[in-house]
Amino acid sequence: MRIFTFEKAGKATLGLLKNEQEYIDLELAGYAHANNMVDLLSQADWEVKLAEILKNAPASAVASIAGLKYDILIANPSKIICVGLNYADHAKEGGHATPDHPSFFIRVNSSQVAHQQPMLVPKQSSERFDYEAELAVIIGKTARHLTADNALDCVAGYSCYNDGSVRDFQRKGTQWTLGKNFDKTGSFGPWLVTKDELPAGGDGLKIQARLNGQVLQDGNTADFLFSVSQVLVILSEVMTLEPGDVIITGTPAGVGYARKPPIFMKEGDVCEIEIEKIGILSNPIANA
Amino acid sequence: MRFVRFKTPDGHPALGARVGDEVINLTKLGLPGTLDELLRLGAAGMASAKAALEKATTRLPLSSVQLMAPLHHPHKAFAIGLNYVDHAHEGNFTPPTQPVLFHRYPTSWVAHGVAIERPKASIEFDYEGEIVAIIGKGGKYISKENALDHVAGYSLFNDGSIRDFQFRSSQWMWGKNFDRSGGFGPEFITADELPLGVVGLDITTRLNGQVMQKANTRDMIFDVATLVVACSEGMELHPGDMIITGTPAGVGFARKPPVFMKAGDVCEVEVEGMGILSNPVIDEA
Repeated sequence: MRIFTFEKAGKATLGLLKNEQEYIDLELAGYAHANNMVDLLSQADWEVKLAEILKNAPASAVASIAGLKYDILIANPSKIICVGLNYADHAKEGGHATPDHPSFFIRVNSSQVAHQQPMLVPKQSSERFDYEAELAVIIGKTARHLTADNALDCVAGYSCYNDGSVRDFQRKGTQWTLGKNFDKTGSFGPWLVTKDELPAGGDGLKIQARLNGQVLQDGNTADFLFSVSQVLVILSEVMTLEPGDVIITGTPAGVGYARKPPIFMKEGDVCEIEIEKIGILSNPIANA
Repeated sequence: MRFVRFKTPDGHPALGARVGDEVINLTKLGLPGTLDELLRLGAAGMASAKAALEKATTRLPLSSVQLMAPLHHPHKAFAIGLNYVDHAHEGNFTPPTQPVLFHRYPTSWVAHGVAIERPKASIEFDYEGEIVAIIGKGGKYISKENALDHVAGYSLFNDGSIRDFQFRSSQWMWGKNFDRSGGFGPEFITADELPLGVVGLDITTRLNGQVMQKANTRDMIFDVATLVVACSEGMELHPGDMIITGTPAGVGFARKPPVFMKAGDVCEVEVEGMGILSNPVIDEA
C-alpha cells in the first residue's frame, strides 16, 4: 500500500493510492485516523483497516491524483534521525575514512517540505545548497533494545528523502546539525510504501538523485555500510523508537560539493530523488 | 516570576508559580497548562500569570507536588558544544570560532528529582551542568542587539552524556540522546529575575556533594545573545524552543582517573540565583 498526506481545504488529510491514477481519501472513506500519519501509525490495526478500505471504499471517496497538493508525509514525528556516511563511496568522496560506527545527526520538523513544494536556498548561503538522495525508514511500532532477528518488525514502510544540506554551515563546526536544519531545506515523500511491497530492509534498491534531469547520484541500497536492521538495533539501544519516527539512511556518492567542479542547487532547478519500487520525490528549488 | 510544571496531589498536570516554598496552581486559575502555551501568549500571557498570582487565595506546599520538566514538546532543543575554553581544552578540542550545535530529544530528559538512567549499553555516564535559555518571542534573522528580547527566561540542565557512544563517530547526537539520561529544571525563571543574558553567575556541578565543575557564566565563549543569533540565522525560532548553553571544565571523562555516574549517586547542578537541579542516578531497568 502507498499512503500519503495531502492538503484538502487547508487541512492535512491522508490518502491511499488505489491505482496509478486514483487515490482514496481516507477521511471520506470514514477512517477515524485520517489526518495525521503519526496518529494512523499509532493504531495497532492500521494495516488491516487500510486493506479493507482499499478493497471496499465507496466511489465517493475515490478521486484522481491529478492536481493533488501533497503535504509533508509526516509533519510531526517525534524524531527524524539521519545516518551519516553510510555508503563507502560517499564517505570517501568527502575525505572521510570508512567508519567503524555509523554517525547520527538529526533534522527538526521545520527543515522539511512536501513533494513538489519548493526547497529553499538560504539567504546566507546562496551557493552551497546541496542535495542528498536517501531511503527513509518509517517506524510503525514502539521499539527499544531490538535484535537482528526482530529489528525489521518495527518498520511500517519506506519513502524517499532529500537530505538537503547547506554545506558551508554544515562544516562551520564539528557538528553537522546547523547545516542540516535550515528551514525548508529537506524534502520527504511522496508516499509511504508499506514494507510488504519491498525487499526486507529496503535492501537492493536503486537510488538516484537527478538535478534538472541529469543523474548526479546513482547508487544501490545494497551498498549500505550499516543495513536498516543494524541501524535499528544500534538506535534502539539508545532510545525508544515510536510510531511515525523517521530514520534517513544516508546518501551514496555524487553529492554536489564533492564534484569537480562542484554543483549546487539554485532557484529554478528541479531536484528529483528516485528509489526503485518506491517512486520519485520531486522538488523545485527557490530562493528563501 | 518562577514557574513550575507539576502534578497536583491528585495527579493532574498543571503550570504553577513558585513563591518561597509554596506553589500557586495557575492552570486552575484559567492559565494554560504548559509553559510553551503560556509563552505563545507573549506579554499578555505573562501579565495574566502575574495577575492570577496576585489574586490567588490557595497555595500548595512545594513539597506536596511532583515536579515535571518545564518543557516537554519544544520544536527544537539545541545544545551548544564546547562553549567554555577550559572544557574544550580538557577534551582535547580546539575552542570553536562558531557556535557548535547538536540536539537533544525530549525523551532524553527527566524532571528535577526524577532519576536519570545509566543505560545498559555503557558505564561511561557523565554529567554536564548547564543553563538553558528558553525562547519567548519567535523570529528569524534576529540581530544581536535584539537577541535577548527573544529570550523569555532560563532554567538548569544536566546534559547527561554517554561518552563512549558520543565519541564513536564525529557526531555527538548518539551519546546525547539516551532515554532519560539528562535532567531539566527545577523551574523556569523569567529573564527579568536574572542578570541580563545570565552573565556573571557561578555555575557548579556536584556529584554526591563533591564539587566537580565550578565556573562562571561570564566565561562562555559565545554569550546567550550570540547563540540566539546563530540559531535564528538558519531556523525560525518559536516560543518554547530551547538553547542549552554548554558546560564548563570538570566533566567526568576528562578527569584522571575518570569519574562516571552510577546507581545510588546524586548529581546536582546549581547556578547562583537559579536554584539546584538534583537528580538521583539509577541503572536502566
